[in-house]
Amino acid sequence: MSEHPIEGLQAVFLANRDTLLRFLRARGAGEEAEDVLQEVWLKIVHARTGPIAAPMSYLYRTANSVMIDRYRSQKQAHLREKEWSDANSGTLRGVSDAPPADRIIAGKQLAQQVEAALQQLPARATDIFRRCRIDGLTQREVAREIGVSVSTVENDLRSVYRVLAALRERLDEE
Amino acid sequence: MMIDDKILDAATVWAVRTQEPDFDDWPAFGAWLEQSPEHAEAYDHVLAAAESGAEVLAAGPANDVEPIAVEQPRRWLFPAFAASLACVAAVWLWNGQGGAEVYSTAPGEIRSIALADGSTVVLSGNTRLVTDSDRPRQARLEQGRALFEIHHDDSAPFSVRVGGATLVDAGTIFDIAIRDRQVSVGVSEGAVIYNPQKQNARIEPGQVLSFDKSGPGYDYSAVPVDQIGEWREGRLTFQNAPLTDIAIEISRATGIEYEVDKDSGNFQVSGSVMVDPLRRDPASLGPLLGIETRRHGSAWILKAQ
Repeated sequence: MSEHPIEGLQAVFLANRDTLLRFLRARGAGEEAEDVLQEVWLKIVHARTGPIAAPMSYLYRTANSVMIDRYRSQKQAHLREKEWSDANSGTLRGVSDAPPADRIIAGKQLAQQVEAALQQLPARATDIFRRCRIDGLTQREVAREIGVSVSTVENDLRSVYRVLAALRERLDEE
Repeated sequence: MMIDDKILDAATVWAVRTQEPDFDDWPAFGAWLEQSPEHAEAYDHVLAAAESGAEVLAAGPANDVEPIAVEQPRRWLFPAFAASLACVAAVWLWNGQGGAEVYSTAPGEIRSIALADGSTVVLSGNTRLVTDSDRPRQARLEQGRALFEIHHDDSAPFSVRVGGATLVDAGTIFDIAIRDRQVSVGVSEGAVIYNPQKQNARIEPGQVLSFDKSGPGYDYSAVPVDQIGEWREGRLTFQNAPLTDIAIEISRATGIEYEVDKDSGNFQVSGSVMVDPLRRDPASLGPLLGIETRRHGSAWILKAQ
């Protein structure tokens, strides 16, 4: 293909618009799916990238990450609303710098809870989680680095994610 | 909002897989998402939990007075800690011992594994395969269904253990499906021997040998060679198969929970179905196979008419 990579990607996008729209609905975009698809399009158009071996995969991944960002913004907006209404609930009137301090204490508690939850798992699992999610290595790279198989790395990541998901559920219930 | 544990488990599998840069099974992920709006919610929940966890860990230890930059020792690499590792290994058996590697799939997933000797194994959904890097010509199918394309080597036969049975082959393509009471082995190329030390039954291309899980019995049936492993292309064909086996087979291929009404387990059915349309409309299995389907919670119950 001699065409510019971005033009090729746009062509694949246009040819697969319905598939991507369907994926966004499956992801939970609902009635806003068309708007989200627009966002995905804008990301494609403004992307800086070399030749892409698997354009459809790239498009799906972009759509998925737009949905992930939306979920994050929605949650943060919800939390900000909550903080705002807490700050104005009357009991904290006149103590306008209380929320930030509460947030520091809550942050410490969360850190303790995360660490306690992860201690149920072998140390290797937490280290693999760090290498992948914080340091940004791929599963393959971590597997090579510590001398285990990729499936071991994947299994460990699943364990950690599962424990964190359970913790988040408990905290959400509070 | 408490999410169902099974959905959280599946969401976790997808969360870990989709975050790998080389993940490309987006259609299967989409199909899983479409089964229920709870799936997308669970997926977002798990991803957000993992992200929060990473942020928390990156911020540093919870109980320090002031942050100290200390390199955490990679404990499991040091022999002095082997004793504690042994306890950990006992608890986490599914992570394998020694050179053992465990490959597992979620219901509805298909996954291709490359073995060290050049062989390939394709796993169906809800499947677990154990290999050992110290023994590259051996594998154990603990659960599910897998298609083996074994690199030819007359001097080193490849053997697959399924429960107490052993299947041995020099270089062939064969499909093993673990069912309710039997295990079926179908050969598309080459030949496989069932239990060389006991029954010593040979399976040729176009033959399916089904052996009892608990008992020495087995029988043969004939299957068109190109049907062996067709599940990779999303098709399943049944010939006088009991509903129980059909439910198991279709559940692992689609990720949809199909169960059988208690009196219909042995009802035999023949037919051929495509997996994708079922994901979109699970009830359509009824008219396709001439049986009744009804919803019960998150499961679909199959019943003889």
